[in-house]
Amino acid sequence: MEHAKLYERLSQRLNDLEKFPRIKEEKSIAALMEEHGISRRDFMKWAAGVTAMLSLPSEFTPLMAQAAELTDRLPVVWLHMAECTGCSESLLRTDAPTIDSLIFDHISLEYHETLMVACGWQAEHNLESAIEKYKGKFILMVEGGIPAGSSEFFLTVGPHGQTGQASAKKAADAAAAIFAIGTCSSFGGIQAAYPNPTNAQPLSKITNKPVINVPGCPPSEKNIVGNVLHYILFGTLPALDAYNRPKWAYGLRIHDLCERRGHFDAGEFVQEFGDAGAKKGFCLYKVGCKGPYTFNNCSRERFNQHTSWPVQAGHGCIGCSEPGFWDNMGPFEEPLGDRLYHTVYGEGADKTADKVGVALLTVTAVGIAAHAAIAAVKGSGKTEE
Amino acid sequence: MKRNLEFEFSAGLRWTHWLRAIAIAVLTVTGFYLTYVFIIPEASDEPILFLNAKFRMWHEIAGFLLIAVTLFKLYLFLIDKVSMKERIAFLDFISPKIWIQQIKYYLFMGEHPHLRGVYNPLQFIAYVGLYAMVFVISLTGLILYVHMYQGGGIGLFLYDFMRPIEAMMGGLAMVREIHHIVMWGILIFLPIHIYMAIFNSIMGKEGSMDAIISGYKFTKHDSKH
Repeated sequence: MEHAKLYERLSQRLNDLEKFPRIKEEKSIAALMEEHGISRRDFMKWAAGVTAMLSLPSEFTPLMAQAAELTDRLPVVWLHMAECTGCSESLLRTDAPTIDSLIFDHISLEYHETLMVACGWQAEHNLESAIEKYKGKFILMVEGGIPAGSSEFFLTVGPHGQTGQASAKKAADAAAAIFAIGTCSSFGGIQAAYPNPTNAQPLSKITNKPVINVPGCPPSEKNIVGNVLHYILFGTLPALDAYNRPKWAYGLRIHDLCERRGHFDAGEFVQEFGDAGAKKGFCLYKVGCKGPYTFNNCSRERFNQHTSWPVQAGHGCIGCSEPGFWDNMGPFEEPLGDRLYHTVYGEGADKTADKVGVALLTVTAVGIAAHAAIAAVKGSGKTEE
Repeated sequence: MKRNLEFEFSAGLRWTHWLRAIAIAVLTVTGFYLTYVFIIPEASDEPILFLNAKFRMWHEIAGFLLIAVTLFKLYLFLIDKVSMKERIAFLDFISPKIWIQQIKYYLFMGEHPHLRGVYNPLQFIAYVGLYAMVFVISLTGLILYVHMYQGGGIGLFLYDFMRPIEAMMGGLAMVREIHHIVMWGILIFLPIHIYMAIFNSIMGKEGSMDAIISGYKFTKHDSKH
């Protein structure tokens, strides 16, 4: 699509959105920014940054600013499943209130278990009424893996004792767009790591609706807010990669845009932490960097207001935005060539044989009992002829 | 020629027979591998081949299958009504007259004796011998097995019972030796068993090979026991 046409379409959409009432009758985003000492200039700089992150041309910056100011038109419901709240923390615990966290923290969240004041019955009521009131309109964000199937009871929340699986399903059914925030809700995460005792599953296994995965442990606040802004701007789901991750964030590997990439190509590697190479900022591949296998934009966007990120701080990437990274990326401080493997069929040849043996002997016992019982009741069917 | 249809082998007997045959075949192949490790996989620098472990696993699984069918067959032999014909064979087994007749038959010196049960005395003692061997090889197999796995299940349950028997047999090396020797006993039994089955089928002309598949044989004259 040509830029002019796209611009036209997006402004049309934003104008339509602007007609919707604000969800809360409090301050506008603009007023809030001002209150928190964020100047219009800062705000426009931020909007330009987000525009670039979403790979849109710079003339779209005013649209992005407008979209950010309209975030209070779109209700967001944020559910917590089996998780550590690190994804919420990533967004909220920056050293100073950023524009990203402001947008989230103060405005559009209809329901967020960590942030809300309500508790118990009242909280449950808020969630139910939000789902009812904004049916088919709200954005659902889910954090955490979801114990599913026969072990769904491992996650039972709230005064109704509802399981995570049930509440995720219910919210997903009513949502306009669904985002799985963090590796746990995208791919199962640490809960789903071998041997996955609670049968934790990603959100996409729980609902049949399309789920946009925003993995990372945690994902950067940019990737979370960027998805909301993208949805506000386009009203559609972004272009996705094979794992349903937005391409604008997860299109390239960490390795592709890594600041240490030059050292990789030059063959200059850190041999062990603290050696001369480490002090010179050499490539961390040999001390376990999984950047070459990991798709994310950390090397571009970094964390904490673009301050730093793991590789800059001197530790390799652990591949936290990849599916099954706890099982596939370890050991974290050695190259994959040194990884440990599971034994035969995941639990060992002899354990497997033992299980089969127990099954066979059980069948035998049942067979003997059944045969004896039938013979006792019916007598022998076939005798001599 | 008019023939009588005679129901000789019950379904349980036939199933256990063929499952035992499969188990013995798998146990023999995997067992020889475990002794001589004669297959070498293509080299890999990743430790994921586990060829020996997989062979051992199938050996163990087939072993449990053998134990399972043996237990079931033992139950049938002792309790089942249809198996009465097998138990009656014991009477033929203790009759010197039938012994002599049977040996004469095999030496082409006389007619097949008229049997009350389904097994002739030579057959009966061969099968008793087979069961004794299966018992010993299962027991030694279980002793060897409990040293492979104690994480629960059978391995953990049997461990304390198996250790004293292991000591009685003179240590694990002797257990393996006995296991191996008894295997040869079973391997010698097999061709004789197959040969005799074919021999009797040809000489008796009563479709006795059919009996282990369909359960019925076709006797020439009325042979009510």
